[in-house]
Amino acid sequence: MRLAGVIAADRLAELLAPFARSPIAVRVESLDGQVVAVAGEPLPAEKSGTFSVLISGGRAGVVGRVVVTRRVGRLDPVSRAAAGSLAAAIGMLVDAGARSAHRATERVEREAEHRREHARTESELALSRRVQRSFMPLVAPEVPGWDLASFYEPAREIGGDFFDAFWIRGQRRSLALVIADVTGKGIAAALLMAFSRPLLRAAVDRLQAPATALERTNHILVEERRSALFITALLAVVDVRSGRLRVAAAGHEPPLVLRASSGRLEWLPVQGPLLGAFSALNVREREATLYHGDMLLCYTDGVTDARSPAGERFGERRLRAAVRAGRDSSAQDLVDRIVDSMQRFQAGTAAADDVTLLAVRRLPARSRAQRG
Amino acid sequence: MSLEIAIDRVVGGAETPTAVVRLVGELDAANYLEVIDAGRRLYEDGTRRLVLDLSGLTFIASSGLVALHSLILIMAGEAPPDPENGWGAFHSLAHDVSGGPQMAVQLCGVGPAVDRVLARTGMGRLFLVHADRAAALAAG
Repeated sequence: MRLAGVIAADRLAELLAPFARSPIAVRVESLDGQVVAVAGEPLPAEKSGTFSVLISGGRAGVVGRVVVTRRVGRLDPVSRAAAGSLAAAIGMLVDAGARSAHRATERVEREAEHRREHARTESELALSRRVQRSFMPLVAPEVPGWDLASFYEPAREIGGDFFDAFWIRGQRRSLALVIADVTGKGIAAALLMAFSRPLLRAAVDRLQAPATALERTNHILVEERRSALFITALLAVVDVRSGRLRVAAAGHEPPLVLRASSGRLEWLPVQGPLLGAFSALNVREREATLYHGDMLLCYTDGVTDARSPAGERFGERRLRAAVRAGRDSSAQDLVDRIVDSMQRFQAGTAAADDVTLLAVRRLPARSRAQRG
Repeated sequence: MSLEIAIDRVVGGAETPTAVVRLVGELDAANYLEVIDAGRRLYEDGTRRLVLDLSGLTFIASSGLVALHSLILIMAGEAPPDPENGWGAFHSLAHDVSGGPQMAVQLCGVGPAVDRVLARTGMGRLFLVHADRAAALAAG
């Protein structure tokens, strides 16, 4: 270890200062003989008595030596003692420097370990997020005469919302729509989501009736796979030829329907207890018809619960206003409009909950004709 | 917005050691765990019955329902797992809520915003709801 590297020059000068006007000259050398500091006027060695003491820097080992020369006469015991004290003092400084350098190294290593740990967690979360994204339909089914769009943004890396849109039993007649929200947050919610999504999908696919599918899923969640968390879900089955719609909800926000003819915006009044809490749901199924140009909007409470910097909630009133403004727009434009309105309202405030939107529009008759 | 949790222990009178927990503000994903923690501490101190005074609660998110449900489990001696962590929560037993409202956690001062969520999710059927604190405590 190089002496000059581990001891500050000003501290060394401070230690040597008292020798500047003394009858002895002092020189501090590192192990390789390099002169690090001097005090007093050194004399040629042969003209004076010379004495040297090694500097032991504790854990740094021997780092150099203190050389004293006397201008007049022989070196006395006091000069030798002074050299010894100086060497000891320098040694302590060197040791302290070495310790703090060691601590700094340890700190750097610990921080590097934390960063690696953090990076591992982050990459696991990123992986979970990718896996979870893969649960969502990548491509909405092609439905002639209909227009589908969705938006999904988890509040954390992994979320509890999910949605789905698929043909029942692969027949291009009945389109199933699913939107759901696992209450609570974090990994448990994400796991329950991963477990519940295929349950709901299989139940709708097999039973075709939304209310029965919710009952079946609830039964499995309550009797076989109990959890501390709950799920809110909205199921709809659309007959794409007639526009007939069957809807049922379990603890979920009812969907909105925007009527093209009148511009009216209505809630489809579906209501029922959330999944996983009660042995029987007894949900009522509702029927409605989507006419040409009508839009159905399903969403999770992350939309209405979104907060502004002032702590206000986006709420149903702002949601309805955004939907009304999208009367003649495509499903994608409507979704974009709502997301834009919500994000302007949030003004950078981090979302506390996942946000999911699913819009389905029955195309106006003329555009269907144009498509041939 | 934030949530304030104020706790009044009821001394004497009631046969079951009772605490009144007043929630003021908004109960959502950001703070529902604090409510669960408060319930755990009360149970550890011997409380076996809670009256939740919700007259100051202006908003409840779906995660807030997890908190209310967890309080029932806690008062029943079934300490619920941390709902945010892993398989424990996923596999834990839910309280059997099919037999009508339970008695260990009762509500009072339920405003329209909270009432709407309780109604929409069916969670209202879990709880006896009283007009105010005095009525809830008198109900025993």
